[in-house]
Amino acid sequence: MAFNLTRRKFLQTASLAAAALPLAKVVSAETGVTKASLEPKGTMGDTTVVGGLCEMCFWRCQLVGKVRDGQLMKLEGNPKSIDNGTSICARGNAGVKLLYDVDRLKYPLKNVGKRGEPVWKRISWQEALDECGSKLKAVVDQHGPQGICVFPHGASAKYPMHYFERTVGTHNVSEASFFQCRGIRDAAYVATTGKAPNETVDMANSKVIFLIGSHLGENIHVSHIKAYMKGLQSGAKLVVADPRYSAAAAKSDIWVQIKPGTDTAYLLAIMNYLVKNNKYDKDFVAKHTAGFDKFSEAIGEWSLDKAAKECDIPAAQIKEVAELLAKNAPNVAIHPGRHVSWYGNDFQRERALACLTALLGAYYVKGGWFEPKPAKLGKTSWAPQEHGNEHNLNFNKDKQVYPFSPPGTPTELIRDCAISGKPYAIKGCVVWGQNPMQTIPNQEKMKAVFNAMDFVMCVDVMPTDVTMWADILLPESSYLERHDEIKAGTGKIKADDPLPTQFIAPRMPLVAPMFERKDQVYITNEIAKRMGHEKDIPVQTLEELVDKTLEPAKITLASVKADGGIHLQPGTSPYAMPEDFKVQLFNDEIAAAGHPGAPTYKAVEGVPKGYARLLYGRAPVHTFNRSQNNVWLNHEMPDNPVWLNDEVAAKLGLKNGDTVGFINSEGVKSRTTTTVKVTPGIRRDSVYMYHGYGSANPLMTAGVGKGVDDQSLITKIAIDPETGCHGMRNNFVKLTKDGKTLDIPA
Amino acid sequence: MQYGMIIDLERCVGCHACAIACKAEWEVPAEFGRNWVHRLGPSKVGKELASTYYPGLCNHCAKPPCVDACPADPVEMTFKDAAGKTITKSVAATWKDPVNGTVQIDKSRCLGCGACAEACPYGARYVNPALVDDVSSDGKADKCTYCMPRVEAGLVPACVQTCITNARIFGDLDDPKSDVAAYVKKGAKGLEPKGGNIGPNSRYYGKKKDITLLFQESTPAAIADLGSIKRRAMMASMVKPAMRKARDLGLLGLAGAILVKGLTDEKNDK
Repeated sequence: MAFNLTRRKFLQTASLAAAALPLAKVVSAETGVTKASLEPKGTMGDTTVVGGLCEMCFWRCQLVGKVRDGQLMKLEGNPKSIDNGTSICARGNAGVKLLYDVDRLKYPLKNVGKRGEPVWKRISWQEALDECGSKLKAVVDQHGPQGICVFPHGASAKYPMHYFERTVGTHNVSEASFFQCRGIRDAAYVATTGKAPNETVDMANSKVIFLIGSHLGENIHVSHIKAYMKGLQSGAKLVVADPRYSAAAAKSDIWVQIKPGTDTAYLLAIMNYLVKNNKYDKDFVAKHTAGFDKFSEAIGEWSLDKAAKECDIPAAQIKEVAELLAKNAPNVAIHPGRHVSWYGNDFQRERALACLTALLGAYYVKGGWFEPKPAKLGKTSWAPQEHGNEHNLNFNKDKQVYPFSPPGTPTELIRDCAISGKPYAIKGCVVWGQNPMQTIPNQEKMKAVFNAMDFVMCVDVMPTDVTMWADILLPESSYLERHDEIKAGTGKIKADDPLPTQFIAPRMPLVAPMFERKDQVYITNEIAKRMGHEKDIPVQTLEELVDKTLEPAKITLASVKADGGIHLQPGTSPYAMPEDFKVQLFNDEIAAAGHPGAPTYKAVEGVPKGYARLLYGRAPVHTFNRSQNNVWLNHEMPDNPVWLNDEVAAKLGLKNGDTVGFINSEGVKSRTTTTVKVTPGIRRDSVYMYHGYGSANPLMTAGVGKGVDDQSLITKIAIDPETGCHGMRNNFVKLTKDGKTLDIPA
Repeated sequence: MQYGMIIDLERCVGCHACAIACKAEWEVPAEFGRNWVHRLGPSKVGKELASTYYPGLCNHCAKPPCVDACPADPVEMTFKDAAGKTITKSVAATWKDPVNGTVQIDKSRCLGCGACAEACPYGARYVNPALVDDVSSDGKADKCTYCMPRVEAGLVPACVQTCITNARIFGDLDDPKSDVAAYVKKGAKGLEPKGGNIGPNSRYYGKKKDITLLFQESTPAAIADLGSIKRRAMMASMVKPAMRKARDLGLLGLAGAILVKGLTDEKNDK
């Protein structure tokens, strides 16, 4: 299988043209005003420190810090930013409270109790590193490098991930951002267009914005939302398919209240309508696609009526949307989505989105999918080494189990191997910035993985539900206290600039780390030394890593710092289509691997009688559970009320604000309760809640036990057959109230 | 001149950045807020579904009931406009600025009685218990100032600067050429309490169904009887010194007891 998908391809980040310009002048000098005891002074006179790069989520807005007497008072968008401008979202603003969270990890800790029920003892870095190094080395010596599994997430996890993958030599790396989030999208688009799509749809210039499940507004990424809003304000029509009246649906012109799991059928019917009625872009299809005949034949059964029945929406509305798209093509933004690991049939839906974009000729055009080109940077890290596929769980002899897997190894293959010991033993676990207890379905299975280990280490800034399972827990410096990740993207200095400008923003610390927190280069290198890899260490410090990565752009940390924290240089057109760009409407490679070569709809399990399908999504003020303990964000949205259809609520005798718990179809009960939000804005067969609540770790004193952990109810595991990624919306729940279980009426 | 804020609900996506930026800028305790965002709906508005937001803040009203409720002793205060012209008027610990139209608080004279917070139909004021002095050990009233210290320094309000969709627009409503005045002309409306006529200067603009939902769900109840609020507050402020005295005596008593115990222990040691 020649499906050569590199991690780098996945990580091509690019930003959309940002409309905002700095609104305010930066006052950088102390004004000398003495602090009044009663009147807060405001941050106008505080020292402005440049070079911040947000990581309250992973969009990485550019920041400045307002610092008073060494204390960070406030974060603001960097006035020099052509990405987020002076804007940052609620989470970005609340970074101050992550930095100073009293519950943050401060010292290396050793669990002298049980895994899952820890008793923490403060130990020295020397002891902690010796323990991590010797235990991991013992695993490698006894079981080979494949005996280590790694669950990384975020900017700081890249360097240690490369160490374990490249230098130590384990394939058993599972990134949540791939296997439980956007990996399917990227794999499907790469298989269709050769490009990871990111979310680079030119919404600012679109005539129609088409969202399948993307709940922009509840899902906030600043420059993305700016482009979306610019499009809407310029008159773009908004079509939103969602079982729920989401934040985006509330701004839509057409809300498609689709039955969960049927999105692919909907897309197939739209495409079939365009083909059958000659409303597709024939010129684009002729020049830039392959397999049109096989494709159109395969989708030919999807009449409007058939899809209407399957998706539980009016046929006339499908036609209306198809006509709207055709009429405004090619300037239409078919959004590829972000978190797309929904039903275990998601690769095909993402393929369908990529093909629909092609039928509309909406690649490399204004308002369509486009390709912003950020500056090229270096790749300094642990040197890649060949480790063969003998111990690659995704290989069965020479054949890939999941041929379109994102980089790494599908999570379920790692878990099954760890628990069964077959085909080999996995006995060491490194969790770095990820919270697998609340990202990966079936918590009991995750616990079984940890219990099967000889050694578990976690590195994080905060206690989370997974850190309870560590033997050694290491405190990391936060994104506000270290150098790191470089955001390279594009934007426009002035809205009417003909070409975009490239920006390079390496992360710089805004304040010094407190207590005994250390960065990833220090921690990884010290462990590497203890595992016998001292000679392979690529850099001695994080600053060195960043400076080496910046080299191809002929800039340094020092030069960027002097330049206001962001380097700008001329960019190139995002609309220039590469000569070899080709969309595989029918993909022979997928067919050869035994999967449907044309986008194909596979129905998901229906809702059992008495249950509702559990849907979940983003809260605008939280990044999953990572921010639940942030006191400012916690105050804005302390819990996650469950959306319940008003007619269903009336039949159950439930009203707004009633307290309820849950039991799922496998008998798993929620640990905590939440309140009911009664609304006509959700289908009768589904309930919805924000993801990332109900933390179990008592060390999260503000967040523990607030709301319900949706992940605890996601126990049934669906696997996307092409990618091996999880689907998490095939779980069904009943509500419980005062000890009684309430059957959801049909 | 009358400063005002427009919130364009067509643009607002409900991200709460405004609320958090304000907290950071003005060191507002985590459990309080000078501004807020409430999600409304999804609910039926006529035959349509609607869902929008209520991003609220002080309305710097034309006739602010909070100002009338303040029982603090009035003092003479002089205000100066841009041209240097001065206006002197008698104000309690909170007042409406005759020059820029904002409503402000002098925390050093605030009694911490909470009458203003009770009088505000929008719940835009709170008493910050962390701020204490000789005048009040119960805290000090606090609220949105329209970021006057920032505006005077040439900046925009913190919530406006951070707003990710430019949904918040700040300016002089009396200046017909201002963006805010243009929004008023387009129909931006304030949330006037039921039967009231207090002239809120934070105003909302948006799709018809969203504005309908906002006004349906967030219009404050009729203004409470100001007379009774003020009487209650005055009673409270009269009672408070006595209560404080009693409490301080109690503390003194406790300290005395410790002192006596210390002396006794010392005696026993000998």
